[in-house]
Amino acid sequence: AAVASSSPGVAAVAAVPPGKGLVSGRASHGVALPGCGVVSCCVFASSFGLSYKLLLYALAVGGAVVVEDQPDVSAVLSAYNQQGDPTLYEEYYSGLKHFIECSLDCHRAELSQLFYPLFVHMYLELVYNQHESEAKSFFERFHGDQECYYQDDLRVLSSLTKKEHMKGNETMLDFRTSKFVLRISRDSYQLLKRHLQEKQNNQIWNIVQEHLYIDIFDGMPRSKQQIDAMVGSLAGEAKREANKAKVFFGLLKEPEFDVPLDDEDEEGENEEGKPKKKKPKKDSVGSKNKKQDPNAPPQNRIPLPELKDSDKLDKVMNMKEAARRVRLGPECLPSICFYTFLNAYQGLTAVDITDDSSMIVGGFADSTVRVWSVTPKKLRSVKTAADLSLIDKESDDVLERIMDEKTASELKILYGHSGPVYGTSFSPDRNYLLSCSEDGTVRLWSLQTFTCLVGYKGHNYPVWDTQFSPYGYYFVSGGHDRVARLWATDHYQPLRIFAGHLADVTCTRFHPNSNYIATGSADRTVRLWDVLNGNCVRIFTGHKGPIHALAFSPNGRFLATGATDGRVLLWDIGHGLMVGELKGHTDTIYALRFSRDGEILASGSMDNTVRLWDAVKAFEDLETDDFTTATGHINLPENSQDLLLGTYMTKSTPVVHLHFTRRNLLLAAGAYSSQ
Amino acid sequence: MEPAKMASPKSAPKDAQVMAQILKDMGITEYEPRVINQMLEFAYRYVTTILEDAKIYSSHAKKSSVDADDVRLAIQCRTDQSFTSPPPRDFLLDIARQKNQTPLPLIKPYSGPRLPPDRYCLTAPNYRLKSLQKKVSSSAGRITVPRLSVGAVSSRPSTPTLGTPSAQTVAVSTKVGTPVSLTGQRFTVQIPSSQAAVKSATPTTPTVQNVLINPSLIGPKNILITTNMVSSQNTANEANALKRKHEDDDDYDNL
Repeated sequence: AAVASSSPGVAAVAAVPPGKGLVSGRASHGVALPGCGVVSCCVFASSFGLSYKLLLYALAVGGAVVVEDQPDVSAVLSAYNQQGDPTLYEEYYSGLKHFIECSLDCHRAELSQLFYPLFVHMYLELVYNQHESEAKSFFERFHGDQECYYQDDLRVLSSLTKKEHMKGNETMLDFRTSKFVLRISRDSYQLLKRHLQEKQNNQIWNIVQEHLYIDIFDGMPRSKQQIDAMVGSLAGEAKREANKAKVFFGLLKEPEFDVPLDDEDEEGENEEGKPKKKKPKKDSVGSKNKKQDPNAPPQNRIPLPELKDSDKLDKVMNMKEAARRVRLGPECLPSICFYTFLNAYQGLTAVDITDDSSMIVGGFADSTVRVWSVTPKKLRSVKTAADLSLIDKESDDVLERIMDEKTASELKILYGHSGPVYGTSFSPDRNYLLSCSEDGTVRLWSLQTFTCLVGYKGHNYPVWDTQFSPYGYYFVSGGHDRVARLWATDHYQPLRIFAGHLADVTCTRFHPNSNYIATGSADRTVRLWDVLNGNCVRIFTGHKGPIHALAFSPNGRFLATGATDGRVLLWDIGHGLMVGELKGHTDTIYALRFSRDGEILASGSMDNTVRLWDAVKAFEDLETDDFTTATGHINLPENSQDLLLGTYMTKSTPVVHLHFTRRNLLLAAGAYSSQ
Repeated sequence: MEPAKMASPKSAPKDAQVMAQILKDMGITEYEPRVINQMLEFAYRYVTTILEDAKIYSSHAKKSSVDADDVRLAIQCRTDQSFTSPPPRDFLLDIARQKNQTPLPLIKPYSGPRLPPDRYCLTAPNYRLKSLQKKVSSSAGRITVPRLSVGAVSSRPSTPTLGTPSAQTVAVSTKVGTPVSLTGQRFTVQIPSSQAAVKSATPTTPTVQNVLINPSLIGPKNILITTNMVSSQNTANEANALKRKHEDDDDYDNL
């Protein structure tokens, strides 16, 4: 009998029922909090069709509503047919436990992966078939044997004691319908299969076939340590075929500029192309790589806005700054400048800093967005229409004259949201600011007039994170409705919807080439999505808690992720493998950033520290090749201590944001909390 | 958040202890003390709402007492209203598939700030200026200044002299005295607003158009010839307009 069945499980309730009069829906209690996700809610619900709200949701998205036959939710849950006598479940489970504990050491670790999914499925089966007392005793007896990182889920499971509780819990339903993926070597699998098919009572074998997907690989069985590094997500690990698609992780070619050599005492700004007496130095990146990088996406794979003159000036400035950049390394660590938000009373929920480090924005729980100028230059808004008609439009400094000096200030407060602001992002050209909030909208603010321009409504539930694309124009948002959306500033509806996560999307980031989006979720996985067609091209499992920080390396090849478990995991995007595990933090990691040339990785956490890690060393000498890609894992060295370059404590200020300036000075931000 | 200060078992009421136990079972160890109060309040409000609904359902079904079915129905109806959850996964996958099929739109070059069409933006003014034009041309409308007369008694609307607009112009040409010193009875007449609606500058023309009673115009039969102090339709000639303006100036002075 084949183990891996092709279909991903019975689908749950489908689209709007045609002509069904009663439209009632499912519901759940609870306020969605960041980091807790849906898992911690107790639920009641009905089992009839979809709610009216769902119809509105579909229409709001703008797509046509697919009308098809609607299977009942109970059809899904009836996958829990009675598998034998309920009183014997404990025997089956302890029988399997005995077998696994007696097996060879090398196989034991792999086969122990079976315990958790089997335990959960058997428990839920007992609950569904309303054997409450058996379910309770089953739970009592075996829940202590499970791994420590599943304890949170088990706690939630312990509160599901009746059939009614199961019907409305979205996360549990998704858990049921998507098969739990286990990766086991061929030898261990043969052992297991032989044992289960020998025994008279095949109940466990039935459950395995029904609810588990065993991805068999040829190679050495994995050790407990290797397995522990990679498990933890709600749906098990990632199938190897999920990580097989080609990903263009290279960077887009930068346009060539003539950057004139200049010293400190040269006056004025040289515009590009102006020849000077000294020979102008061409941008080295652009000229040397005449050949197309095979790993880079074609220039026109996705439409990107053209460079305006102001953008070109900015790039020239960037290059000049880059020339003066400090080369970081283990001997030359960056200085860290910390911006502490005082009197925020635990209200600071989001921070962002512009690329040239001139402005800092804070999103707060009182629904305000506050923009500060970090440089001595104050924030100015454009004059009113009446005043603008008075200025001389032909003068050279017209761009200065349109700015209003009278209302210039260091701080501008933006009002508009009706809920805490959970994400903020500056546009690369510093004209726009995005903010996303618990009220379900993403707002675009103009930094010329400091007013709100657009409210993008699509998520009807709290939006946890948003970010502008590195080239502007596009932005991504992710929220409680378990999807991430790609928007463009001139479309009021999203362009792409990235659906697939089992729980809230808590963190969204663009790849430096703007062709891919990484999303971290409360279901403890990180997914990489293709902007062109919305496909999920990579699934990374390994974190044991919701992911709150993502950072792409500047060369686009690697991804660093941080979660509530305090570990930073490093991933090779091209091969789809975990290549590093940085242990050290003791609390949730909220900020991750690579230095400008990718030599140092900085991580900031709730444990009031900033840690610097040696990224060059972490990524050298990797064993990533075709063979390891086929097995799906490499041997992770235990080198966290070697890679740690420094730990810097703050005075009881959790670190919420990190930013490397163009000259590689590290800026950090957080709100002082007096405990 | 401050760590929870567990109230000593003697002082905390039983319900509060239950709430604290629930939090402990769900693994929440740090919470502000107000959380228990809020949970108690929520529980109380929820249960009373459900039971009230259940009572209504059971009385509707003409049952003698509330039973479990009523409560179940009440719970179901309430949860459909108040507690909603995000759409199910396959639904999301479906709409995602539809949305992701359309290719990314091309970006028009040199198009200034790239914003959605105006009606989806928040850039429209949310105010409108009031036009305070006293020196108005003949076709312009006028702000109506409602002045309610005091102690008015509504009269029969069948006063013949007030039928047509033309009558108004007739009335205007008579001497219009000062708005002060009304003697004797006063009558408030309601002129249908159809006249006013035609050329009004502001749509909020009050239907009650106040009239000035000129005592001298009250004839022996108590037929009123009234003037329309505030007219929103001004088809009168220049002379009338001037006269009206004059009246208005007086009004404003006396106000």
